[in-house]
Amino acid sequence: MDATNKKLPPRERKNEWPKYLAWAFVAALIIWAFVGMPAFAIKPNAGQIGGSIMSGIFHPDWAYVYRGDGEDLVSTLLQTIAIAFIGTFISAIVSLPFAFWAANTKHEFWLVTRSGKFLLTAIRTFPEIVLALMFIKAVGPSAFAGVLAVGFHSVGMLAKLFSEAIENLDNGAGESVTSAGGTRMDVTMLATIPQLLPELISNTLYRFELAIRSASILGIVGAGGIGTPLIFAISARAWSRVGIILLGIVIMVTLVDFISGSIRKKLI
Amino acid sequence: MAEQQVPSTTAAPQEPIIQFDHVSKVYDNGALGLKDINLKIYPGEFVVVIGLSGAGKSTLMRSVNRLHDITSGDIQIGGRSITKAKGKELLEIRRGIGMIFQNFNLVKRASVLRNVLTGRVGYYPTWKMIFGLFSPEDKQRAYESLQRVDLGDKVYARADELSGGQQQRVSIARALTQDPQIILADEPVASLDPQTTRHVMDDLKRINEELGITVLINLHSVDLAKEYGSRIVGIRAGEKVFDGPVATADDATISEIYSGKDTEKEGA
Repeated sequence: MDATNKKLPPRERKNEWPKYLAWAFVAALIIWAFVGMPAFAIKPNAGQIGGSIMSGIFHPDWAYVYRGDGEDLVSTLLQTIAIAFIGTFISAIVSLPFAFWAANTKHEFWLVTRSGKFLLTAIRTFPEIVLALMFIKAVGPSAFAGVLAVGFHSVGMLAKLFSEAIENLDNGAGESVTSAGGTRMDVTMLATIPQLLPELISNTLYRFELAIRSASILGIVGAGGIGTPLIFAISARAWSRVGIILLGIVIMVTLVDFISGSIRKKLI
Repeated sequence: MAEQQVPSTTAAPQEPIIQFDHVSKVYDNGALGLKDINLKIYPGEFVVVIGLSGAGKSTLMRSVNRLHDITSGDIQIGGRSITKAKGKELLEIRRGIGMIFQNFNLVKRASVLRNVLTGRVGYYPTWKMIFGLFSPEDKQRAYESLQRVDLGDKVYARADELSGGQQQRVSIARALTQDPQIILADEPVASLDPQTTRHVMDDLKRINEELGITVLINLHSVDLAKEYGSRIVGIRAGEKVFDGPVATADDATISEIYSGKDTEKEGA
């Protein structure tokens, strides 16, 4: 048949200039970045220190795992999990109203959504470590400062994820509530939230996985958790102590990821 | 064009339950939805609206309970103007009008019971809905509605475990639980196979005959319209071009309704 025997026509050539320009720009950027970097200086004792660290990691300080004084590995790891958990949990609840504010399906006036989205972006701009430093000034160096730092940053991220979930929602079920004489709030409670719930939980768990990692670091500036003994051990060059702490963090993060990941899989 | 005068108010002492008075609707983008529609529907009628896609059938249905606002004219439900109704009064009028949608509009993850209970939303203050506090009497009422559509055994199933036809019958039960005087059905069988279509249509017909609920339905199939309807309303390009008992809708009339081009904009 004639119709099926036609040869594949060559693709029409477009103007290629923008592509070449883009490549040239990327190349220039890479060269510029390397030029701006200080010389690759390696300290003369780098090999020795590297060796000590490795030996510390392979000969961890097992005695530190549990001492019962509240500053051992298990206690500080648990404290890290607690910081991440409370921070994430509180922020998940606080995020909800922000999410409805920023979702572009709920408002007719564009500025409402735009300002909500802007606020959330602004919140996300602050790294947790900076927030922790500020909260330490406000509430003192404690795990509470860590909770506030994790929670504050979480709101920026979770509310953004939640608002996108709201925007992607099919509003059919909401329409049926409206048609039965429901108010806007009824629609939210009877249709929007129930449909949103799996995604809310899934996003919150994902955020919890990230919060565990940040909470491990926050102790370095004094906001509680495993970071505090880690920075002390590094300053004291107690490499076998550093070894056991790193090992503990790896195990904790892996476990949390595994558990939360398998729950999330079941939800979707 | 054969425009039949269905029971005039002088012949029948009944007042119309739905009355369109010079209703026009123009969409924000300038598309014409409805053009000077005058229509009286009496209690207990089974009125089928037919017409091409985009002729304005959906718009007509949705103006009845004001899911769509109209541009000019007035719509009265049982003598009360829904066009002018505000706040509580609007919700009260909507509460008396059940609606069934092409895509069922159920909360798919929620139980069948929960979905059917949603029909009662108009009878509760919003704060009770925040906690989902439905009374035992209403749960019983919901169960009875489910039995009416032969789905009593599915009361605790999750909505998405049911087949399409069953989901549509759940939404009929939801509308029934509202205790409505009118049921609007917007393309209720468009996404169902012929056999389940029959089941859903039979349910609607039975509700119409046994409970005396007025049914206003739009359908794609002329055969179904003739088989189930007591009266046919033909819509073409936003205008009412036919209105009369099924018997008077002969082939010439039908082809007249379906003449002209497919208008580009779907009314919904």
